[in-house]
Parts: sequence; C-alpha cells; structure tokens
Amino acid sequence: MSQALISQIMIGFSVAAILAIAAIGLAIIFGVAGVINMAHGQFIMVGAYTAAVVGQLGGNTFIAIPIAFIVVALLGLVVERGIIQWIYDRPLETLLATWGVGIILEVLMKVIFGPELLYVGAPKVLDGGLRLIGRLPFPYYRLFLIAVAIVMVALTFWIIFRTDFGLKVRAVRRNRAMSGCLGIDTAKIDMLIFMYGSGLAGVAGAVLAPIKSVSTTMGFSYAVGSYMVIVLGGVGNLLGVPTGAFLIGEGETLLAFKYNSVIGQLLVFVAIVIAIRVFPRGIFGYHERR
Amino acid sequence: MAKQAAQHVTIRKAQRAPLLPMWAMLLGAAVVLLIGTFPYISGTNSYVLLLLGKFLCFAIFALSIDLIWGFAGILSLGQAVYFGIGAYIVALSLKINYAIEHPTRYGSKFPDFMEWNGLTALPTFMEPLIITPLAVAAALIIPTVLAFIFGVITFKRHIYGVYCAVITLAEALILQEFIIEYQAYTGGFNGITDYGNYVGAPFLWVILAITVAFFLIARFVTHSRIGTVLKSIRDNDVRAEFMGYNVANYRIFVFCLSAFMAAAAGAMYAAWVGIVSFLDAGPLQSVEGVIWTAVGGRATLIGPFIGAFLVRGLEFLLSGSWFANYWQFFMGILFIAVVLWIPDGLVGTIGNWLRRRPKASYAQIREEQDQIARDRQRDWEPAGAPKPGDELV
Repeated sequence: MSQALISQIMIGFSVAAILAIAAIGLAIIFGVAGVINMAHGQFIMVGAYTAAVVGQLGGNTFIAIPIAFIVVALLGLVVERGIIQWIYDRPLETLLATWGVGIILEVLMKVIFGPELLYVGAPKVLDGGLRLIGRLPFPYYRLFLIAVAIVMVALTFWIIFRTDFGLKVRAVRRNRAMSGCLGIDTAKIDMLIFMYGSGLAGVAGAVLAPIKSVSTTMGFSYAVGSYMVIVLGGVGNLLGVPTGAFLIGEGETLLAFKYNSVIGQLLVFVAIVIAIRVFPRGIFGYHERR
Repeated sequence: MAKQAAQHVTIRKAQRAPLLPMWAMLLGAAVVLLIGTFPYISGTNSYVLLLLGKFLCFAIFALSIDLIWGFAGILSLGQAVYFGIGAYIVALSLKINYAIEHPTRYGSKFPDFMEWNGLTALPTFMEPLIITPLAVAAALIIPTVLAFIFGVITFKRHIYGVYCAVITLAEALILQEFIIEYQAYTGGFNGITDYGNYVGAPFLWVILAITVAFFLIARFVTHSRIGTVLKSIRDNDVRAEFMGYNVANYRIFVFCLSAFMAAAAGAMYAAWVGIVSFLDAGPLQSVEGVIWTAVGGRATLIGPFIGAFLVRGLEFLLSGSWFANYWQFFMGILFIAVVLWIPDGLVGTIGNWLRRRPKASYAQIREEQDQIARDRQRDWEPAGAPKPGDELV
C-alpha cells in the first residue's frame, strides 16, 4: 500500500467524521420526531456564525461549542413551537415548511453579517499535524473532528439508551398513542428532541467552521450529505449514522483520489441507490409494522 | 334462477362525463386565444412575450410535479433533473448547429465554450445532435428512460415518501455539480448561451399547443381508472396493494409520464429563452416547481398553471423595486404560509369553498360525493348493486 493511499484513507476518516457530526442531529430529529428538517443545513450555518462571533469576541472553538449548542437549540425551539408542532402528521409538508425556514435563515444571516465570507481559526492547541507516515502531516484538527464525532455519537447513545428521558423517547418512537396513554407528554418529548437535534447541528457548525469558510450558503450541501448518511445507514438504530458516514466518507474520498470528486460523488450516489434497493430502510433500518 | 336475478339487476348505462365541462372548455379557449394573439399585440421584441413563453414552460414543469405529487403522492425534489437534461440536449444541438453556420473567432466550426476548454473537435458522442429531430427525440426519450430506471429501482422496493424526496434531491445536486465540473461539454458555470432562440408567434403556438395537449393528457389520465387507482395509492398505498393493484407499476407509469412532460418543458424552454444554465437542472429549480404547485393547489390540474404564473409573475413585477432584495425572504414565508394555512393551495381552497354545502344530511353528502366521484372518473361503468332477493353466485 502506498503512502498516498494510507493518507487518503485517513482523510476519508475525517470526512466520515464531518458527515457523522452533521448527520447525528438530523438522525435524532428524523428518527424520533419523524420531521424532515430541510433547514438542518442552515442550523449548521447558524452554529458556524455563532462560532465566528465567539471567535471575534476572543473565544475559541471549545468555548463556541456550548454557546452554539444553546443558540441553535433555542432556534430549534422557536421553529418547533412556531411551525412544526402543527404539522407533525404530514411529514412531506414539514419538508416544505422547513425549506422555507432555511431560506429565511439564509436571508437573515446575510442581512445581519453581510455577504462576505467569515474565517474562524482553529484553536492554538490544535495547530500543526501528526506526522504519521510520509511527508504530509495529518492535521490535529482533523483528529479532533474524529474525536468530536465519536463523543457526539456516544453521548447521544448514552442519552437515548441510558437515561429516563431516552426511555420515554424510545417509547414515543415505538408507539406514540400508547405512550401518550401511559402519561408521557409526547408533545414535550417531540419538542425536547427537536431542540436537542438542533443543538447538535449547532455544535456541528461550531466545529466545522474552522475547516471551511463560513458563508450563508454553506449549509445546503451538509444537509444533503447528512440525508444521504441517514438514507444509507437507517434511523432505526443510532449505529446507522456512524456506519453510513464511514461508508460514504471513505467511498467518496477514495473514488475522488482515483478519479475526481464529482465522479466520486456520482459513484457513491449510485452505490447508495443500489444499497437501498437491498436495504429499503437503510442498513440499520427500523422495521415497523404498518 | 339466473333469469330472475337478471330482472332485478338493471344495468345503468354509464354516464360518461365529458373530458372537460363546457364552461372550462370555453374559458380555456378564451385564454388560449388571448395568449396566441399576444405576439401581435405586443410585438416580437417584447420582454413580456419572452416571459409568457417561459412561464408556460414553467407551468408544464409544475404540472409534471403535480401529476406525481398531487395525484400519486410521490414528492420528487429532483424533477429539474429531467427538465434540465431536456433543456441541455436541445441547447447543445442548437449551439452546435449555430456554430456550424457561425464559425468561432479562430475559424472552428464547433461551440466556442468547447474551444475555450481545449477541445479540438466536436466530441463523437455529440455528433448525432447535429440532426435536430434526433436531438429532440433524445431530449424527450433520455429523461423518460432515466425516470423509468429510477422508478424500477426505487418503487419496486417500496421506497417512496421521504426517502424518495431525499434521493431525488441528491440526484439534482449531483447533476448540477456534474454540469459545473464537465464544462468542456456543458458550458459549466456559464451555461450554454448565444445560439439564437425562437421567440415569436410560431414557436409560441407550438408551446401553447403542447401545453394544451399535456393538460388534456393529464386530465384524461387523472380522470380515468388509472387516476382513481393513483389517488387511492396516494391516500393509502397498503390498502391499494391489498386490493390487488400493482402499486409499483402505477407509480412507475406516472413517474415516467411526468418526466416526459418535464423534459418537453425543458426542451421548449431552451429553444425559447436561448440560455440554459446549471441552475435550471438543480435542486432550487425543483423545489421552486414544488412550491408553484403547492401555491396553486396540488391535485388540481389548473393549480400548477396559476401557481407558476402567479409566483413568477409576482417575482417579475417586484423585481424592479426595493422588494427584490427580499424576494428570497418572501419565498420562505410563502413556503411556510402555504403549508400551514392553505395546504390545498389557492385553487383547491376556492374549490372547497365553492363546493361547500351547509346543512346537508350525511346521506345527502354521501350521495353527492358518490356522484362527484362517478363524474370524475369518466369510464366508470356501474354493474348495479345487488338488491334483496338476488342470488349471489
């Protein structure tokens, strides 16, 4: 194996981490509340702008993460209470309404921050790179992203499978009417889970800001990438997110290395379409009785 | 015994509703006449004339979305893929032919954007596009075949709803990036321009005729047995499947029909407007088509036309004012408002309002609804309900 190939595989890991970070919030919202949040990319964008503001005020990424979580979770609260709570029973229309929310957020951010790109520096601690093999160092920030992805997935696992709140969430996911009868406030669970998913999007924005310039249109491609992860991985089990992200990230990177990035995307897309023909609800799909 | 039963069972002669009611036909004829004579009123150089043809193409595009979304419940966010492929093939063909007559600055007889990108001759696979009928056929058939392949892959495995929407969205995004990346063949970021378009009365009549034809085809399909099955699939696909209908095949059929319409709209759009860009094949165009349909009224055939003309017309009217900067903002509000307050769209809401019958008994309403359903499905042939005393063999 050549050194170039090994370094490409490492880059693939970091791409997978980025995808997983972006997708985990969406998987929560889509998997539990059944809402197709097309504004997810714009939520990530708002998180990135929050990180940019924190950076200008003298903070760094570590400080920006909790602030972005809170800001975007509150944004999610507003969107959920204002719009989505009325249309939970029409999933395809949540798609249109949240698309509208996304457009509005883009325009608002453009009005507030102007059309220029913003740049956020990585924290000083994470400067430089790990010299694993060959001459190209692997940036520490990318390692940090992989760590963040693992922590976010693990934390979400812990919340969903080890806490009282998570138990209620899973109950609502399985049988909404029955959990309501047993005294679970399903509307409140929906609201909280939407806030949590939005907050994760904010964290994604905060940690992704340093690797890409922050612009109002940065969100859309993240949203589509996240949806691809979810379609491939499935939402029945949270393992779907890391698995889907790993397959897509490595696939796109290695194919881009062999051909070019567009061909890579195209081939991965074709592979995903073939894969969902085998697993119609994703690899870790939730087989519900209908 | 059989004879006795036959006496009771009187077979009602099927009352076939006309394809269009008389008032709709008259109104439609008036509108067609108005649009058809418009070039003589406005003159050929009018910007409004250009917009009119453009809007008609967009209206067909919205109609194609309405067919699958309104009548079969398939929300595709990648309908612009078919629109865009149709448009690009026709634009390429026109551009190649234009270049043969008007050589570039360096004397080559192939499109200038290919020359800028270092090609020395027309790629072999584009040579058939020199023949215009072949190009038009390709522009219509290739998207339909793509839609068929997509339909077979997804609908046969019961992939629809959210998954279908997301996959089609990704499809549109990838096509857009593909067009930008392979600029030697597609013109890339600049699109294909400068090939002489067909603005004028004759081509407007072509667009108008095809619009009317597509409207009638859509009306025929949705108001026949196929349409009834499609609506039942939209409302409850599992039940429709248990009734013995092959849900996947119905979906594939309507998806291909809609892709064909979108491709035709794109082909005419390219020839009329004279510029095609990657935006015409991207996700934004697709979603805009969905919003036109939603504003006008899904599951009504006139809704997409009204939606497309209204939203695009409003955009044009407001484009000069201070409001133009906030147009996107307004679109966002429109998305949310339509979903929350007028889910049936303008036409649907007005229709519901006109059809409102206060103080009717339940039996009356049911009888009326049955009658409406019978009238809507044109080839309904009642066999006659069994009466007491009949022997059910």
